[in-house]
Amino acid sequence: MGITRFTNCSLALPDGSLRRSDLFIDTDSGKIISGQAHFFSTRQPVDRTIHLQGNILAPGYIDAQINGAFGVDFSSIDEGDATYLKRLNEVSRRIVETGTTSYVPTIITQRKELYQKLLPLLRPRSAPDGAHVLGYHAEGPFLIPEKKGAHEESFLLDASQGIKSWEEVYGAAALDQEGVKIVTAAPDVEGVLECIKPAVERGVTVSIGHSNAPVDVAAKAVSLGASWVTHLFNAMPQMHHRDPGVIGTLGAQDESQRPFYGLIVDGIHVHPNAVRLAYDCHPEGAVLVTDAMSLMDPRLPDGKHEWRDGRYIVRDGLRLYIEGTSTLAGSAISLDHCVRNLASFTSIPLSKAIQCATWNVAQMLGGDVAKRKGALLEGRDADLVVLDRDGFLQSTWVMGKEVYTL
Amino acid sequence: MRLSIRDSPEQVGLYVGDYLAKRINEFKPSAEKPLFVLGLPTGSSPLPTYQRLVELVQRGDLSFKNVVTFNMDEYVGLPRDHPESYHTFMYTNFFSKIDIQPNNTHILDGEAEDLLHECAEYERKIKSVGGIDIFMGGMGEDGHLAFNEPGSSLVSRTRIKTLAYDTILANARFFNNDLSAVPRMALTVGIATLMDAREVILVVTGQKKAMALAQCIENGINHFWTASALHSHPWSLLVCDEDATLELRVKTVRYFKSIEKVQDEVEAKYGGAAVRKTRVNGVH
Repeated sequence: MGITRFTNCSLALPDGSLRRSDLFIDTDSGKIISGQAHFFSTRQPVDRTIHLQGNILAPGYIDAQINGAFGVDFSSIDEGDATYLKRLNEVSRRIVETGTTSYVPTIITQRKELYQKLLPLLRPRSAPDGAHVLGYHAEGPFLIPEKKGAHEESFLLDASQGIKSWEEVYGAAALDQEGVKIVTAAPDVEGVLECIKPAVERGVTVSIGHSNAPVDVAAKAVSLGASWVTHLFNAMPQMHHRDPGVIGTLGAQDESQRPFYGLIVDGIHVHPNAVRLAYDCHPEGAVLVTDAMSLMDPRLPDGKHEWRDGRYIVRDGLRLYIEGTSTLAGSAISLDHCVRNLASFTSIPLSKAIQCATWNVAQMLGGDVAKRKGALLEGRDADLVVLDRDGFLQSTWVMGKEVYTL
Repeated sequence: MRLSIRDSPEQVGLYVGDYLAKRINEFKPSAEKPLFVLGLPTGSSPLPTYQRLVELVQRGDLSFKNVVTFNMDEYVGLPRDHPESYHTFMYTNFFSKIDIQPNNTHILDGEAEDLLHECAEYERKIKSVGGIDIFMGGMGEDGHLAFNEPGSSLVSRTRIKTLAYDTILANARFFNNDLSAVPRMALTVGIATLMDAREVILVVTGQKKAMALAQCIENGINHFWTASALHSHPWSLLVCDEDATLELRVKTVRYFKSIEKVQDEVEAKYGGAAVRKTRVNGVH
């Protein structure tokens, strides 16, 4: 297929700016290349030129917290490995319709035994014509009961044996496997603080979430290596002016001690004013996530839907409630919608909002992902989205191949 | 030698761009020989000209599909993808914006294993396409053409040159004002190479070039002002802005302006074709 040149477009760059420029990709290697290097070294014209009519060309979006989508629940493995992987591929193929080209399936608190079955299946994989699975996000079970949210309390655990507790639940192999490994844990749960450093050394991204921790405990967790806060504002105490808690880590005096933070910008989980406050305080740390559930599917109707463990979820537009409660059960929003919302809530340019679903996420995940994804730079994977000037998805590309078009 | 004085650098760009477009379109280059062969410079003076050419291509009024280009020079030892290499300049400002075929562009390779061979090859390639139809260039503050600095032989050909300290100083602004980062050598076409072109057009703008322009037009042929070699070229055109005339005699400026005035009258009366006929021998 050869070299494709995108022209008549504005590139969304890693620093959040927009620049009118061409982009060249090699469809055989699936990488972004330098037009100049190709011009002078091959002395060949490009094989295909695509005119984007003034649209925005951006890196494909990366979702680091997503519990399921299109009727698939990542925490459910009732029907065996083969079916699980098949359904994972289905999600990968459909999720490109939201502009997401890479995602991290998230497992909410489970009974202990399930982790060692699930996590090994969530190594990096790419479905043909679909998004990449980057690894796993284990949200729980080391969470504080008072902040459990929609998690099942009876499955929550403490880490009284330090890292050995984590190995016992997740499996030592899962903590060492390749790819992205995110663990959301509460530093105020017994033993969790001691787990952070050893886990980070093994390549785990530790995130603070579902916690009641006072600000000094949260800060200690960050100093030990915790680099992310899971869905800021949700499942944590409100910010108190004398003890700002987990949220207070965004105001750390030393900028290097301000962690990345996930934000669910569906307008429901977090009030737009709160989104603006957090973003203005620490824009480089903002990471957009969907926290979407299996019921994330633009075509699904409102009403009661069966969920898991005998419970039901009521869907009302983008709102998902556990039946009979007012507890938000997760979200039904797509990542491209979050990007548009962030731009409008904070009045930042669209390109800066795009940065929070691409570059910032890649930086937060570190490792291989930080080198290969999340930016329109030479040598990176050609995972791309074409958006109109208002941020509405026109087409999605994975490894240089168009996988979705409006 | 003709001198055309325009109001500003932008006007110079418009004039030279339109002139080149006219010459290329009249030539009607095609895939079968002959192709139109153009020599090109780098630097800030020709930028408005390149912008005008790009504009004409984007409007559909000009095509580079059957045009072959040869650049004047390139630094030695600077990687091709370095932001200050002349490859980068040409790609960023010109080649990436027009419909030229990549294999029709030629720039000296400053990273070649055998630099002498590279220079000889360049001369051979120019010959093989039938020589250069128009060589566009600029003029240095010291009156140099390409990297043919003061003292260069007026019968020189494409070769390696060590740069004058003044040139290194002048270039430092492109290398973060770090003198040690500026290349010390360059490959350049020679004065004789330029003189072989059927037509030469120089773009000279800004007050800094005024002294050089005056020396090259009003005084004799002198190897300290190598652009003066053009006195012996059958068909050269210098296009400058008002600022670049600051060191010329009023008499010189008025003389060339009067020639243009007469030319305009002739073209108005007899049409452009009559004027072209007088240039059939390429001498004026």
